[in-house]
Amino acid sequence: MKYMLMLFEPETDWESRPEELQASLAEHDTFSAWLKERGIAEVGGEALRGPSMATTLRKVGDEMVVTDGPYAELKESLGGYYIIDAKDLDEAIEAAKRCPTGTATEIRPIWDVSDLT
Amino acid sequence: MLATVVRLTRDLDAAQDAVQEAFASAVTAWRERGVPDNPGGWLTATARRKAVSARRHADAIESRLPLLVVDEPGATGVFPDDRLRLLFTCCHPALDLPARVALTLNVVCGLPTADIGRIFLVPPATMAARVTRAKRKIQAAGIPYRVPGPADLGERLPAVLTTIYLFFVQGHTPPRGTELTAADVTARAIDLARLLADLLPDEAEARGLLALLLLTQARQPARVDATGAPVLLADQDRSRWDAALSGEGLSLVRPAPRGPYAIQAAIAAVHALAPRAADTDWSAIVRLYDDLLAVHPSPVAALARTMAFAEVAGPSAGLAEVDLLAADSRLAGYHVLPAARADLLRRLGRTAEAADEYDRAAELAGNAAERAYLRTRAADLR
Repeated sequence: MKYMLMLFEPETDWESRPEELQASLAEHDTFSAWLKERGIAEVGGEALRGPSMATTLRKVGDEMVVTDGPYAELKESLGGYYIIDAKDLDEAIEAAKRCPTGTATEIRPIWDVSDLT
Repeated sequence: MLATVVRLTRDLDAAQDAVQEAFASAVTAWRERGVPDNPGGWLTATARRKAVSARRHADAIESRLPLLVVDEPGATGVFPDDRLRLLFTCCHPALDLPARVALTLNVVCGLPTADIGRIFLVPPATMAARVTRAKRKIQAAGIPYRVPGPADLGERLPAVLTTIYLFFVQGHTPPRGTELTAADVTARAIDLARLLADLLPDEAEARGLLALLLLTQARQPARVDATGAPVLLADQDRSRWDAALSGEGLSLVRPAPRGPYAIQAAIAAVHALAPRAADTDWSAIVRLYDDLLAVHPSPVAALARTMAFAEVAGPSAGLAEVDLLAADSRLAGYHVLPAARADLLRRLGRTAEAADEYDRAAELAGNAAERAYLRTRAADLR
């Protein structure tokens, strides 16, 4: 069953901290290698630019109004994600524990809606 | 029976439906043909058959709904192990505590949601929604139907122990309402603790929890007087303690306990071993509370420790310690704190202050019988 691991992190100016960025990327490489070794498929995963780079479209009547900034202003926001294919929630939790993250990691089961159509 | 059928259906709702239908069939079949030699086996076999036919029907409609994960499918027969799996599924940390308790009562103990609502003073519709949501999460989030392996057991067991303990406490002293105990609730909690201790014989905390519940339940006949008012431990008629429960509880207590439940059981054992309140080894109790606070620093346990300390060092020293705890905001609103102060003030002869503290405790107490008792204590001092 597929799960999304959502990594919540405080906004960090990574580009002015190249060494920290390299260290963080190395941690993610280690995590990917662990997933492979553990037999949990890594279906996808990306790092996201920070919330100050976000553009949000808000529904106003029939219109979509373009605004600068994230949907919700939080101290921590979604900094990146993985999609993994795990046996069950316990295996997903085991993976999430190993996954580098800033503040918290939210696990969401992916809803396979193809069964419903 | 339910646990066995769940193995087959991997769906709690479907299994519950099948078991209910089996009971309904029994009413007609047994009336016509008499009760079979093995009624339990008959019911289980019928429930399994109902589940299979319902499953086939459901398969045709929704073939690939996510299912509870089963490690070794194909096994048949009633294994106590199945109930343990159910217990670990229902007490998964990905479910919040009220949901875990409600689900355990519904699925493992077979209580209807309306009855569970009555125990927790939650409207039946709210309780039904809570149980339904939890069952949906088990399916949708893929919470496995399995006893965790040795590596994870230590991490997962506390959630199960807490669930059973909370359930017991709910029956032992309902926080609101008028009845001081709900015998059926405590009996079921003890059944669950016994199941856990039997199936996990190497887990000291599972044994500790069972011992704690048995030793606490043993005092039950003496906890309430003829008018329904609570009787303090020191004033209880110890000849009315249940010797069988007490004996079973004591047999489970081991020296040098390390986990919080085993330590609390050891404290209960010290009380159980004192023929009269005056014989209580309070120094041993203070030492055990120190051990407990080292592994489980809770303000409620700290307050209990100061009350034991007052028995060793006197009410004046005890009061000084209680006043230190009063600064802890987590104890604000906890009626035992003013009740403890009241008791110590009374023993120091400061009766007017003691009466005021009993009144404060009565205002905070949620249980009507406890509230009435505290008001009486206040009135006695005036």
